Amino acid sequence: MRVMTTETDYYAVLGVSQSATAQEIKKAYRTLVQRFHPDAVQEDATVSEQFYRVQEAYEVLGDPEKRAEYDRQLGKDELAGEPAIDLQVTLSHRSLSCLDEDQVFYALMEITPSPHVEVRRLPLNLCLVLDRSTSMQGLRLQRVKEATHYIIDYLDDEDILSLVTFSDRAEVVLSGQHLQDRVRVKAQVSAIRSSGGTEIFQGLQSGLIELERVRSPDMVNHLILLTDGQTYGDEEKCLLAADRASRNQIGISTMGIGQDWNDKLLDEIALRSGGTSAYIDSAAKVTSFFRDRIHSLVNVFARELRYTLDLGEEVRLKDSFLVSPYIARLQEREGGFHLGQLSSDAPTVVLLECIISPKLPGRHRLFQLELVGDVPMLGRQSERVKREVEVRFAPTRELEETVPPRIVSALGKLAIFRMQEKTMSELERGQVEQASQRLETMATRLLNIGELELAKAALLEAGRLARSGHLSPEGRKKIRYGTRSLSLLPKEVSGD
Amino acid sequence: MIKCPSCQKKHPPNTLFCDECGAYLAAEADKRTDPLAVSEVDWMEEQDIAAVPPSPSPDKSTALKLTIRDSGRLVEFPLTKEINIGRLDAASATFPDVDLTVDGGLEKGVSRRHARITRQGEELFIEDLGSVNGTFLNGKRLTPYLPHPLQSGDEIRLGTMVLRVNVV
Repeated sequence: MRVMTTETDYYAVLGVSQSATAQEIKKAYRTLVQRFHPDAVQEDATVSEQFYRVQEAYEVLGDPEKRAEYDRQLGKDELAGEPAIDLQVTLSHRSLSCLDEDQVFYALMEITPSPHVEVRRLPLNLCLVLDRSTSMQGLRLQRVKEATHYIIDYLDDEDILSLVTFSDRAEVVLSGQHLQDRVRVKAQVSAIRSSGGTEIFQGLQSGLIELERVRSPDMVNHLILLTDGQTYGDEEKCLLAADRASRNQIGISTMGIGQDWNDKLLDEIALRSGGTSAYIDSAAKVTSFFRDRIHSLVNVFARELRYTLDLGEEVRLKDSFLVSPYIARLQEREGGFHLGQLSSDAPTVVLLECIISPKLPGRHRLFQLELVGDVPMLGRQSERVKREVEVRFAPTRELEETVPPRIVSALGKLAIFRMQEKTMSELERGQVEQASQRLETMATRLLNIGELELAKAALLEAGRLARSGHLSPEGRKKIRYGTRSLSLLPKEVSGD
Repeated sequence: MIKCPSCQKKHPPNTLFCDECGAYLAAEADKRTDPLAVSEVDWMEEQDIAAVPPSPSPDKSTALKLTIRDSGRLVEFPLTKEINIGRLDAASATFPDVDLTVDGGLEKGVSRRHARITRQGEELFIEDLGSVNGTFLNGKRLTPYLPHPLQSGDEIRLGTMVLRVNVV
């Protein structure tokens, strides 16, 4: 048999479709063999050639294993021109009515890896930067050590781990390397002792140096920073370090434990580097946060994901939000709206809220959307997906159509997130009474969607605010991070 | 322009949620069972505040506790609002204050808009909202849309789901 290539289409040779059953293939083969068999026809060069081609095709398609391999090969060739990223755009309305005033429409963008791509895990170049200041003493440090042990066990042999601890200075506990003697590394982690203050920049700097030493575009280069305290005087340096990380394609995920750390700084570090930030309200949850983070890192499918919008005539973008994997307001920066990483196990979902001016009946262009991202596992840089989105304007008000539940559900969560944003900015302006009332209303909304714990926190803080004029640092973090991670999972939808 | 029934803020047509108070705006025209229209009197523009009845003095009863017997879940509400009970369903714009989905509401015959508890002066009332399987107060079926006085210690049954009422 010749080396198998996909130049010959075996399915075409046998005259069957790619979805044909083994039975159908056998039948087609028998018919063709009878027609082209050298014994049955007169010796003729073309017929004989045909006979051998049929034989060759059947050798592959008649064998389930060879056929599967052939199908895979066929798929890859077809994929060469296919986009690796899948983009679905859903509008709140299939048609709009011609009104004599501005109206709103919403568009939901759902971004996933293309189903044609065989996803594989990229090796990690991971650095853990752990706060070991005095305040971490006891249970917190103990839980952080356990979480680190979990990561040591979880990583593959091809991954690289480095480990930095910091207080007012930083120590490299483990220089970036493949894990060979896991027991020894775990012992090193267990030996970490707490003492000293908190200077985040020291830890960040040492961690980045470790990552940069082994950094490669074929790896997921990431730093996880965990702290429980305020850093003093080095905020600006931290942000510059985050910018540098971003230029070197290193993401930084920040985690704050307890209530004394600077949430704005940690959010900004994560935002600038394309990582995420999280609030860990109790030491017991450290392991689950580490686990979730590491799982999403090994599932990185695309990075540097961003989109640009070319708006149609008299269409204005009012707001743009990331709604999954977590909620965040998106702001246009250089290169468009940045979305960070696309995970292979959870879609990235964006919601656009637009205003459109009155239009005449007919089809109108709303916007053109262009999505750009790097797909390291396919070695593709700046993979692009474009979508032209139009809507029809009907001359009279048509039958009310229902907005897709996915959009309603996303907007419901966003409404609560926006109330949180407003509450915080009211507080910054000193409008305590308004903020307190808003928190109370927010609690009701949270109850409506079954977020009992968060509703309780909001209600508690509303009362505290009314009495004392302040939020507790803990309550503030609970509300900020809680509203951000309102899950997108739709509730049960059914009739009575 | 459309107006938020809850905080009166104006929005362009098709807006789904009020960005001021989070109210769902597409529930319009759906008669009196609309859960969000009347319930949110506590959030208003300053000039409207005078129209709001004064909140009850703190020595009187201020909160309602509902214990769901089978799941053991306890929900608590301030008595300044009306409380809608049912099952959440985004598609039909039903966002009850007490969502019984997690307690097995569907299996137990709870409607999406099942019942509501309102306050008039010092008295509490429960009202069946035309539910499929009925609302029972201490074993007696209520006439739909007819508010019935409710007291601490009463037992409410929605379909086959039993709730215990506690006013504190």
